[in-house]
Amino acid sequence: MVQYSYFPGCNLKTNAKGFEKSAVAVSKKLNAELVEIPNWNCCGTVHTMTSDNLMKRIAPVRVLSRSRKHIEELEDSPNEVATLCSMCNSTLKIVNKEVKVDEDKLSKINYQLEEDEETYAEDMEVKHFLEILRDSVGYKNIAKKVIKELKGIKVVPYYGCMLLHPEEAKIDDEEMPSVLEYLMESLGAEVIFSPLFKFCCGSYHIVDDETIVDSQVSKILQDVRVKGANAMVVACPLCAYNLDYQQKKLIKQTGEKNPIPIFYFSQLMAIAMGEPIEINHFEDHQIDPRKLLKELKLEG
Amino acid sequence: MAKAKPKTKTENSTPMVKIFIMGAAHEVPASLTIMKAIEYAGFKITRGSGCRAGFCGACGTIYRKEGDYRIYAALACQTQVEDGMVLTQLPFVPAPKARYNVDELQPNASAMLKYYPEVARCLSCNACSKVCPQEIKVMDYVQYSLQGQIKKAADESFDCVQCGLCAIRCPAEIPQYHVGMLARRLHGKYNLKAPENLEHRVKEIEDGVYTEAFSELMKLSKADLKKRYTERDFIDQKKA
Repeated sequence: MVQYSYFPGCNLKTNAKGFEKSAVAVSKKLNAELVEIPNWNCCGTVHTMTSDNLMKRIAPVRVLSRSRKHIEELEDSPNEVATLCSMCNSTLKIVNKEVKVDEDKLSKINYQLEEDEETYAEDMEVKHFLEILRDSVGYKNIAKKVIKELKGIKVVPYYGCMLLHPEEAKIDDEEMPSVLEYLMESLGAEVIFSPLFKFCCGSYHIVDDETIVDSQVSKILQDVRVKGANAMVVACPLCAYNLDYQQKKLIKQTGEKNPIPIFYFSQLMAIAMGEPIEINHFEDHQIDPRKLLKELKLEG
Repeated sequence: MAKAKPKTKTENSTPMVKIFIMGAAHEVPASLTIMKAIEYAGFKITRGSGCRAGFCGACGTIYRKEGDYRIYAALACQTQVEDGMVLTQLPFVPAPKARYNVDELQPNASAMLKYYPEVARCLSCNACSKVCPQEIKVMDYVQYSLQGQIKKAADESFDCVQCGLCAIRCPAEIPQYHVGMLARRLHGKYNLKAPENLEHRVKEIEDGVYTEAFSELMKLSKADLKKRYTERDFIDQKKA
């Protein structure tokens, strides 16, 4: 079994438990097991744009260093730290690239990590689980593990901003991404394109001005409905939160009759691969996806 | 610390070291703990001393050593003096302590963030762990709290003596030791099974099982009480 040193990030333990549990479950089926770093700390989000603010870069470099130590305990593990959260993926990737090209920056950060015996030697790569699925596992091998094709699921892949921007952190082509599309097709779902695939979900405005999020989310959902889709697939806990929680609120306000369940890509993989439905924590969703799954006889 | 009458030096061959207490030099026997050395130097410790056994956390001390740039921290009752130590006591740390009713909370990250939102500012610099006299991985338990991993936070912070030294070193101004206390309270309340014997005993007390025996004891004279104490045995007469 190939094992990956897996960095969860705080959301995966709080608001996105179903994302983590389903991803870990399918990772084992695909010979790419996600094994959690036992003592991980915050990724350092949000990545600071101030280039000399090294304090804010200690956290991500410490993650890379702890992950490097962790892989010594793992089986056939590449020098890669696997992430699920788009935000963590972005922060870790950017900082990893920064310290690889700036020796001075790294040595100053390492000076803070020296006493903890956690200095970093630039020998890690940060990979989003989607990259691992695409580049190391392969869509064909994923399709082989599908025991229940997702017939009837008409899904819009939604990337949000963090998977495709900035250049240093993107996992796919920023204008024409395909990883979620191919993944969904390999599960037997019908992929529906929405031009709003990276239209901002409203992001952190959720904590200071919900109306901004509401306006973004209603535009995204309107297009999903117009295109005739019955589900959305996402990879970012913040996008999922905004699209799911605010949708519930908007439905109450507008009386909209057509709720769109929001799935993490790993949840749809888990369903297609016959994992027990409980691992998806659908009870945490505001728009309960089990209704659609029941209609399509995919819930059992 | 109030200045008390200095002790007279006894003639012996104990090797002495020179330490600086709040900047003033003092010669003290090398075998003493910091706490005893402070008293040897003539100070009466009115605050910043408690159990003298490393459990109560009242005697947080910070110090530097000659020719060493680092700040060290320790419990004064548990640490031997070294030549050239420059030290001061920190009997109290002003750190915000949240008021909450643990019965109204849930064991999750939201509870931690509601009362200690500073945990989200943690930079993972690990200054808190480096200063901890109990060698607790303080930063790790702050992170577990932020992640809502309450059990891990409670377990990791279990040996905390609440000295507060972590809080004075934190660039994010987190009162770590209060955060750890909340984690342990949540863990104890919601994740652990209530100990059966304790519940049983509390019920017995509430039902008045011991009321009569206690009032009998309270009426005894000191001499009778002493007699009863020395003659006591631990065998339950009813069961025996």
